[in-house]
Amino acid sequence: MNKWEVFVMDMSELAEGKDIELSIRTLNAGLHKYTYKRVKCQVSAKQDKFPDSLQVRMGRGQLSASKYSIKVLEEVQRMPEKYL
Amino acid sequence: MSKISAPKSNREFIEACVKAGDAVRIKQEVDWENEAGAIVRRACELGAAAPFMEKIKDYPGFSYFGAPLSTYRRMAISLGMDPASSLPEIGKEYLKRTNSEPIAPVLVDRKDAPCKENILMGKDVDLCKLPVPLVHDGDGGRYVGTWHAVVTKHPVRGDVNWGMYRQMMFDSRTMSGAVFPFSDLGKALNEYYLPRGETCPFATAIGLSPLAAMAACAPSPIPEPELVGMLSGEPARLVKCETNDLEVPADAEIIIEGEICPDYKVEEGPFGEYTGYRTSPRDFRVTFRVNCITYRNNATMTISNMGVPQDEGQLLRSFSLGLELEKLLKSQGIPVTGVYMHPRSTHHMMIVGVKPTYSGIAQQIAQLAFGSKLGPWFHMVMVVDDQTDIFNWDEVYHAFCTRCHPVNGIHVYKNTTGTPLYPYATPHERKYSIGSKVLFDCLWPVDWDKINDVPTLVSFKNVYPKDVQEKVMSNWTAYGYPEVK
Repeated sequence: MNKWEVFVMDMSELAEGKDIELSIRTLNAGLHKYTYKRVKCQVSAKQDKFPDSLQVRMGRGQLSASKYSIKVLEEVQRMPEKYL
Repeated sequence: MSKISAPKSNREFIEACVKAGDAVRIKQEVDWENEAGAIVRRACELGAAAPFMEKIKDYPGFSYFGAPLSTYRRMAISLGMDPASSLPEIGKEYLKRTNSEPIAPVLVDRKDAPCKENILMGKDVDLCKLPVPLVHDGDGGRYVGTWHAVVTKHPVRGDVNWGMYRQMMFDSRTMSGAVFPFSDLGKALNEYYLPRGETCPFATAIGLSPLAAMAACAPSPIPEPELVGMLSGEPARLVKCETNDLEVPADAEIIIEGEICPDYKVEEGPFGEYTGYRTSPRDFRVTFRVNCITYRNNATMTISNMGVPQDEGQLLRSFSLGLELEKLLKSQGIPVTGVYMHPRSTHHMMIVGVKPTYSGIAQQIAQLAFGSKLGPWFHMVMVVDDQTDIFNWDEVYHAFCTRCHPVNGIHVYKNTTGTPLYPYATPHERKYSIGSKVLFDCLWPVDWDKINDVPTLVSFKNVYPKDVQEKVMSNWTAYGYPEVK
């Protein structure tokens, strides 16, 4: 199980029942902890619905009491190819 | 000018601080995740010695140096002065050196540049190979740049800019940073690179000599490499980058080279800021793409932990902003006797002492200060007369509470330039860098009769004849009081 974290301004950004795009950071131990990925995913407020956990923080870093689960469908490359 | 003996590198500075009792060597392992940041924060809030953390979890061979310039003692050490020097003495020395002849930097061969001892290029480039700390719990990321210089060059004018723009690690090769539109780099990106769709070369230098960091932080019109020379009394040693034409401090601990992508932004923040809050929202900000990392053997990463006073974000910025504003006002012929920003104001209030020789002098000062390039960084100007000690908050506060007329003495300026970091600003103002300013004019009006209209200050120093003052002071212990130091 992977651990992820997301920053949102509003909990409505975590829409359930559909594919959404988020920038999430890994909380897995190791040198790359806290680095981000842009992903297409599904999330749920039910912690056991998807394999990975998703911790939520608000816009000023406040930790939300709500715990989500997440299924990462694919990585999304936002960066223009000319910069890769 | 007498020979200046200032530390020429971060390493010399650490040694000087340890010797003076202003840094402690921490031998036990420290975690890069929160623990190092918490140590630095606590040291700042206690005004304690700077922590030199010699063993970092997961990163053998690296170390941290925190809170490098968060006290006036360490500022004095950085200038090669007696650590016990007073703030006015340090300010006088800064003005003397920065009003001297510019000293051009020298370019050294890469074999003489310690920052080239290790070089990561191509697929080896990974910011996670550096001990980038999570400075505050809840920050948007691990911050690479908290006490550093982002080096760029204007594409047309060619002038070099070293700026302290905070940089967050987004992924192994990408950093995002807060570059405000009114800053030198912000202007270059918006006016040149963005319209042309070109990338802007940059180099981030970490673990600078304290005077190089001071120059990067100072809002001086003098190019930073020359300013370093003026402050230290000898040329700054620079070396060419590996992947672009920029020149960076040869003795820096870590150099990160790359390109700014002006048309592509990624999330940055939130971050604990110098105001003592997390104010600016998480937002899409400037993207720095990394192409190369070079670093010294046993490199030391510098950490500034911004939060409630006092850290170097407040102390050094207050110091240099105040003195640069003093230079500006004097250049306009205004009879100022001094300018001071108390670090606890988080450099939001400029206190100006002036000889009030003509009407409207306070407004002239405020308009010049607010209208200058430095104006976005503060929003209060308080003007007191030359009899008030601007460094003594008790005197300044007394003048403010007794001489500032609630109607005639307070002047508000609306819709000016601000920063997203102002805690009091509305969300709309933060998003668009809109500010507002206020002047507190604490001068007696010059059209008041000095004998009949201006109140007399009732103090020991002001109302008693000198011989009585001397008699009382010389007999003070004989009266039964302890000696006054």
